Amino acid sequence: MSLMNTSQLTLIEKFLDLATKRQSLLVSNIANVDTPGYRTQDMDFHGEMIRALSEDPETPVSATPRDVPGLLSRPDGNNVSVDREGLLLAELQLKYQAATQAMRQEFSLIRSAISNPT
Amino acid sequence: MNLFGLLQITGSALLAQRERAEISASNLANADTTRTIDGGPYKRQNVIFAAAHPLSNGFAATLASFSDLHTETVQVAGVVQDETAPVRRYDPGHPDADATGYVSYPNVNPVEESVNLMEAARSYQMNVSALQTTKAMIQAAISIVQ
Repeated sequence: MSLMNTSQLTLIEKFLDLATKRQSLLVSNIANVDTPGYRTQDMDFHGEMIRALSEDPETPVSATPRDVPGLLSRPDGNNVSVDREGLLLAELQLKYQAATQAMRQEFSLIRSAISNPT
Repeated sequence: MNLFGLLQITGSALLAQRERAEISASNLANADTTRTIDGGPYKRQNVIFAAAHPLSNGFAATLASFSDLHTETVQVAGVVQDETAPVRRYDPGHPDADATGYVSYPNVNPVEESVNLMEAARSYQMNVSALQTTKAMIQAAISIVQ
């Protein structure tokens, strides 16, 4: 564990990577809100996060998208729920901001360690 | 796919919804048009949406194929004509009336088109929200290095 490779930074990095992947699924769902036959895609964020942390820190994160069960299908086969996607979008944005703030905090700690040798 | 790539997905949806609104507006505008280049009354147009994988050709596509996530943009697969019969109204004085005095008007239902237009506008707004969220995330990511 070096100065620039703390477990905190690894944790936040994995989180931001996974959040980006989830955002891509949410955005894709919203883009296809009127596409006949399109099925809502999402991932098990919690499960993927635990898996990502158990892996080597250098391994890029991966996630398996899956169909979301329990959503109401429209007659054209599309089951995108605007409420669900909007809610998750807002939630993910706030979590992403919290994580970036935490990362800035971590860097400012490292910076103060560099600039204040005693 | 990074955050900037997501802007492309949302952009494709904005484009598709705009085209849908344009077609609806054209249907409404031509709701009483009895003469067209092809002859006969105007026929209602319909857009068809289809999901497509972003970057469908070239190097970027090959690179994207290594990605583990299956994200999809939306595209207008085609504009088709509604081939249902025209609405016939009795108006013998009309220059386009046939021998029996009936005029063929377009098969456009203004109520249906208005609803379609509203739907397109709402979907457009939803995608703008998604765009703003992605933008805020990019700004947050940039703020790490500030």
